[in-house]
Amino acid sequence: MIQEHALDTVDINVNMGPQHPSTHGVFRMVLTIDGERVVDVEPHIGYMHRGGEKLSETMDYRQAIGYQDRTDYLAQFQNEQAYCMAVEKLIGIEVPERAEYIRVILCELNRITSHMMFVGAFGIDLGIFGTTFTYAFRERERIQDIFEEVSGERLMYGYFRPGGVVWDLPDNFVQRVREVLPQTRQGLKDLDTLLTDNEIFVARSRGVGAISGEDAINWGLTGPMLRASGVPWDLRKDKPYSIYDRFAFEIPVGQFGDVYDRYLVRMEEMRQSIRIVEDALEQLPEGPILPEKMPRKLRGPVAEVYACVEGARGEYGIYIVSKSGDKPYRLKIRSPSFCNLSALRAITIGNYVADAVAILGSIDIVLCDVDR
Amino acid sequence: MIGVLKGMMVTFSTAMRKPVTIEYPSVHREVPQRDRAFPILLWDNDVDEPFCTGCHACERACPVECMTVIMKDNPKHADGTSKRRKIIDEFFIDYGRCMRCNICVEVCNFEAIAMNNTWAGHELSKFDRNELVLDLDQLMSQHKQGKIKEWVGE
Amino acid sequence: MLALTFDVGNIWLDSLLGLVTMVLLMTLVVLMLIYVERKVAARMQMRLGPMRVGPHGTLQTLADAIKLVGKEDLRPASANRWVFELAPFAIFVPAFMAFVVIPFTRDWVVAFLDLGLLYIIAVGGLSFIGFLMAGWASDNKYALLGAMRAAAQLVSYEIPMVLALLSIAMVTGTLNLTSIVGFQDKVPLIVWQPLAFYIFLVATLAELERQPFDIPTAESEVVGGPFIEYSGIRWSMFMLASYANLFIYSLLGSAVFLGGWEWPFGSDAGLWLQILLTVLKTSFLILLFIWIRFTLPRLRIDQLMSYCWKVLVPLGFLQVLINGFVLVYEWPDGLLLPFSGAGLLLAGYITYKAVRVEPRSLRMVPKPATATAPPPSVPAPAELS
Repeated sequence: MIQEHALDTVDINVNMGPQHPSTHGVFRMVLTIDGERVVDVEPHIGYMHRGGEKLSETMDYRQAIGYQDRTDYLAQFQNEQAYCMAVEKLIGIEVPERAEYIRVILCELNRITSHMMFVGAFGIDLGIFGTTFTYAFRERERIQDIFEEVSGERLMYGYFRPGGVVWDLPDNFVQRVREVLPQTRQGLKDLDTLLTDNEIFVARSRGVGAISGEDAINWGLTGPMLRASGVPWDLRKDKPYSIYDRFAFEIPVGQFGDVYDRYLVRMEEMRQSIRIVEDALEQLPEGPILPEKMPRKLRGPVAEVYACVEGARGEYGIYIVSKSGDKPYRLKIRSPSFCNLSALRAITIGNYVADAVAILGSIDIVLCDVDR
Repeated sequence: MIGVLKGMMVTFSTAMRKPVTIEYPSVHREVPQRDRAFPILLWDNDVDEPFCTGCHACERACPVECMTVIMKDNPKHADGTSKRRKIIDEFFIDYGRCMRCNICVEVCNFEAIAMNNTWAGHELSKFDRNELVLDLDQLMSQHKQGKIKEWVGE
Repeated sequence: MLALTFDVGNIWLDSLLGLVTMVLLMTLVVLMLIYVERKVAARMQMRLGPMRVGPHGTLQTLADAIKLVGKEDLRPASANRWVFELAPFAIFVPAFMAFVVIPFTRDWVVAFLDLGLLYIIAVGGLSFIGFLMAGWASDNKYALLGAMRAAAQLVSYEIPMVLALLSIAMVTGTLNLTSIVGFQDKVPLIVWQPLAFYIFLVATLAELERQPFDIPTAESEVVGGPFIEYSGIRWSMFMLASYANLFIYSLLGSAVFLGGWEWPFGSDAGLWLQILLTVLKTSFLILLFIWIRFTLPRLRIDQLMSYCWKVLVPLGFLQVLINGFVLVYEWPDGLLLPFSGAGLLLAGYITYKAVRVEPRSLRMVPKPATATAPPPSVPAPAELS
């Protein structure tokens, strides 16, 4: 006996991550999908939690620098700068001119390496078989070599100190950076040709995962995510820290807030960073790199300070509560990846599975930064 | 279509150029002088003993507590050949824990410890993690044999 | 007459020997292809590629093959045993079946089949069953997703592929591959049928599941799709079949569109010249596929489908229609080129219109630095196109 009944369809749950090539680390999305459409997303974080904040509370102000590198491992200098700025504010140390310039140069170069990483990985998310990745890494490696010559490390630099930087620049630093920057520009041009005008790339990224400016502010997004949504907010301009008010640069702002705009904003930010570095190299003064009267042991007063920098992913802030002594009583990291990730669910629902990957890629999370 | 073709020209012209990578284990990139691998102890060739007096400064400053230092009276001080009253007896560094932060080098009062700046400091894969705990002889052998590059960063 | 068959006397022994030769030859070709792909890809990505095993890594794929054969053949506990284990064969066998009728030179072909073209299309259409089997039996959601994508994609792109080959059959008036190549002793068919060649090229890319159409096996989305649970020898069978297909479709393309061994030296060319011509044209197509693979991003499944059904299929019908007019009303053959060329331009134009890139510019904000900037005013988000 044949019974007629309608065809049932069921939504299935797919665990994307924590072991998945395009979740950028150990991030897990539980996708509820109806065919190829995403019905619901549930992000799971915490696989990478190492207690960086708590660890920093058990160490004195110098020891904890090593742990700041390890939160956002693609923009380490910016993390170090945020931490050092917080400690300097707490203790009241003046940073010498030359040290500020060194910091700015390294931070901006670091922004380029971080965004290069984004472009490379984003190409892989969209299906280019490693080509953008190697192209981006060629540029990244050149700058990374400079970082290694300056700080001795390739990844966890540990170069900034409260009050300045630990060593002076190597002798041929200025010349080396001037050699590398034109090559970086050329590499950017290559990537531009490979991606920006590519019709398939455009078809995959335009109109996907759009965020309005209002939503972006409500979700607390910062950095390129916010600027792509049309909000011109950049801490380097709006709350100038360090010596950023001395350089001429522009903030790229997107119009639509979709995946493509986020990509474009990052590409343009790299060009602006090159501008800043070139300016800073021109102005780089001679002088000490640490203040004359540097306390041997850093001791903070009873105070609370917050210092933030415009990291590669957004506002990277350090909040220190000090109850005197050489350790912070409480250290809180305001990590941009964590806040930016909060928009994931809303912008992924209703898109295709392939778009979910592109959207996650465009948020440019660093899992160590999310989980700390 | 045009963008696709232009992109294809980029990969084509790149394929015509020389590769930028090197064949790593057989060819080694030159590491810069400031290169920071794992810490090693330095050897005072004038007196023929280690610089380290076992003062525990690095041990206390180490954020990850990867060092163990034991000090002893210096027998050469009794002879009068050395000015160091105390000398290092046992020194262990667990390379598996070390995070290469350079703080031990900064706090050292005798410049007795330095970061290895050769490839030997990087290629340390071992089958057993206990082999990554280096003792005094292993820590000093690098500098004793003069394999450490002069470091300009200090 | 046939170099790839043997004449021992016993018909079963003959075919067995032919089969063994074929499989060995195919395996060798695939090993070479994988090496070439890795090397070319490496050069495009400024890498060295395999360098360790053998001089310049030439034996790397052999080492990989040995490793794969030696690996444990894992099967998930919840997989459907027989379907899971038979799926590689369902992909592997059609690839080799298609090989039977493909001619290398005028005399080198396993079986002269008068319906060769039809046979290839028929056999080539079988492979999606293997993907479905693998995806369903693996009991893995990624595999299932990949299998569904594969089924949709392979079945859809079968149609433009058939239409492109059909237009060739109309022009040449035969389905025998050797005769089709023989038809092109003066001018290769790509000149008469550029539109059909374009459709064939795109459809081949889709059939081979290579970028930009590697949606069923998309590494960054479904992590290998139907192959996700396979390992060892079964996985290598999938790979073998995929590269064998690459070889077969390139051979087919070189025979059908680029004039095989005939053009430009005519049918009098010696055996070695014929082989050289075939190898050159096939390598050209293979290198083109590799080049495309390592340059382009992946399309989304809906874009893929709409490109097939809205662009390629109508244009395929257009090509058939043009050929029909020319043949039925006995218009001069020379009209095939302008008509088909116009069709190709149309295809280009439609693609261009569909994915038109209006350069999007960013707003640059050079704001004066003020210590306490007011919160920025929120612009109304523009309507998305």
